[in-house]
Amino acid sequence: MDVTIQSNDVDRFIRGLLLYYDVIAPVARDGRFVFERIDDPSMASLKYDTTLLPPIKWIYPNNEILLEFDLKDITKTEVVAQSRKQVLTFVHPCDINAINLMDEVLAEEPSDVNYLTRRQSTLIIGYECLGPCRENILCFDKGYHIAYRGFDLFFTDIGGRYYVHVATDAGRAMVEGDGIFKKAAYDDWKDLMRARAERKKGFNKKAVEGDIGMLSHFLKEAYNADEIWEAEGRKCLSCGACIIVCPTCYCFDAVDEVCPDMEKGVRYRRWDGCQLRGFCKVAGGENFRKSAAERVRHRVFKKEVYLKKRFGRSGCVGCGRCIDSCIAKISIIDIFNRVMERARRNV
Amino acid sequence: MFNFLPMPATIVDIRQLTDKERLFTIRLDNDRGIRHRPCQFILISLLGIGEAPISISSPPVDSGRTFELCIRAVGNLTNAMHRLSVNDRIGIRGPFGNGFPVERIEGKDILIVAGGLGLAPLRSLIKYVLQERGRYGRVILLIGTKRPGDILFKEEVLKWEEDPAIETHITVDVAEPSWQRHVGVITGLFKHVGIDPFKTIAAIVGPPVMYRFVIKELLAKGIFEGNIYLDLERRMRCGIGKCGHCQINGIYLCQNGPVLSYLEARKLQEAL
Repeated sequence: MDVTIQSNDVDRFIRGLLLYYDVIAPVARDGRFVFERIDDPSMASLKYDTTLLPPIKWIYPNNEILLEFDLKDITKTEVVAQSRKQVLTFVHPCDINAINLMDEVLAEEPSDVNYLTRRQSTLIIGYECLGPCRENILCFDKGYHIAYRGFDLFFTDIGGRYYVHVATDAGRAMVEGDGIFKKAAYDDWKDLMRARAERKKGFNKKAVEGDIGMLSHFLKEAYNADEIWEAEGRKCLSCGACIIVCPTCYCFDAVDEVCPDMEKGVRYRRWDGCQLRGFCKVAGGENFRKSAAERVRHRVFKKEVYLKKRFGRSGCVGCGRCIDSCIAKISIIDIFNRVMERARRNV
Repeated sequence: MFNFLPMPATIVDIRQLTDKERLFTIRLDNDRGIRHRPCQFILISLLGIGEAPISISSPPVDSGRTFELCIRAVGNLTNAMHRLSVNDRIGIRGPFGNGFPVERIEGKDILIVAGGLGLAPLRSLIKYVLQERGRYGRVILLIGTKRPGDILFKEEVLKWEEDPAIETHITVDVAEPSWQRHVGVITGLFKHVGIDPFKTIAAIVGPPVMYRFVIKELLAKGIFEGNIYLDLERRMRCGIGKCGHCQINGIYLCQNGPVLSYLEARKLQEAL
């Protein structure tokens, strides 16, 4: 059953959450926003555009320890997979959709125990986007500006108060009790419908021209289109910014670190990615994805062709972070448009 | 759910094969053994150093609890491995990958093409096939290396040369005056072996550059694309199809490989 909360009661709600959970919220920082663990409700910004890093990084953190070991005795090696109870708050639909996809990817057998452990102790509060949050996004093209599942609570701003969709038992537990939330009435629901009608007006400009449903097919046809990949490859500095900020990038490396006492150590997971030069290099010296052009193409294909084929939907949720973070100004929107343009030309 | 815990194991024997390669015999602490299929691989874990993928060189049913790994000292972990001695402890994860479809090819002639270190994984297949000799037709082995001194498993290879159960042909890129066998690239050996293309299954492992030439030769002989098997090597890191290092287009080689038929591999632009 859905509820509502007055805008000025949100602080009280967060204060309540802080008693039981680590609360991760969008926080303003140097003109942009980041998902951070907060200890005071005033730190959270409900109105924010895309954060620098996606919230999934709290479920799939960098430098996560996988094993603890004793250098003298291998039988004392222990698996580390633990998590504190956390709530990711005010997560936009694009990021919720990304987490939904990663749930499937990392739960596919053999599943990833560290991700699943953290995921199971994570609650998610969604926050509806009623219009585009910034330039260079393509969530609307993909239908990823709306989230249908993957949250416990879902907030929609209906003017002075929020309509809160309660999606799970855990979500119900969060809104019950202290009288902050009121049962949603007919008028609230009408306001929700009105807000959603406004959303339709807000999201009105597609970033990619043409039928996005055909993109995967057109990409496959453009596999050898050097005019696209060589051109983008020449721009690419192979810095890996795009893969670090992407909410559906999950490639990693496992690295050992030994304590200076030379007795104990850890094996941890470090984010890694296909745009870095050495990603596919083997010890013998062979590099299986040598050129930046091949690497750029692989990133685009991984999102739009390979993940789509395996999991039935695109791996690019349209958040636009890779575009914002690229100092060489490579734009996945631009690439998609050129692929579509090429397809139109070749018909 | 899967975790990254390696199984404790002990090095029980080390043999120097060539200047750069050693053969390690490994025994797991558990009594199950490694239970692999030919051409599967494991991840060796040296605590404090890391992990590296290594093909299993011994056949599945050999000496019970032990298995063999042929390791060239070439990277961080493999060099560290070469510094170890008998009775040292290591970790093992695996076996990973699909392995060679040995049941599917029963009754067929088997043509095995091993370039350089490719003999390391193929030795598990060769020894398996020789143990189960009655189930297969002709067994033809083509070996190519740089120099005579680089031939892996030399004693066994010499024995195979004498063995009527297996037709063995060896070539080297650079010969020495005493060299009595073939000289030149491995594809040069094909003119010395007559094969029945409708009965023959090919298994190829070698350096990346070798595959294209060998496949071309086999297709020219009329072997069906689905009967040519390749064991591809990539940087397998996690073994569970997640970390991304071994991805070839849409597949993860550590899960869907390392053995692919050419019928599958030719659809993957990044495979060859």
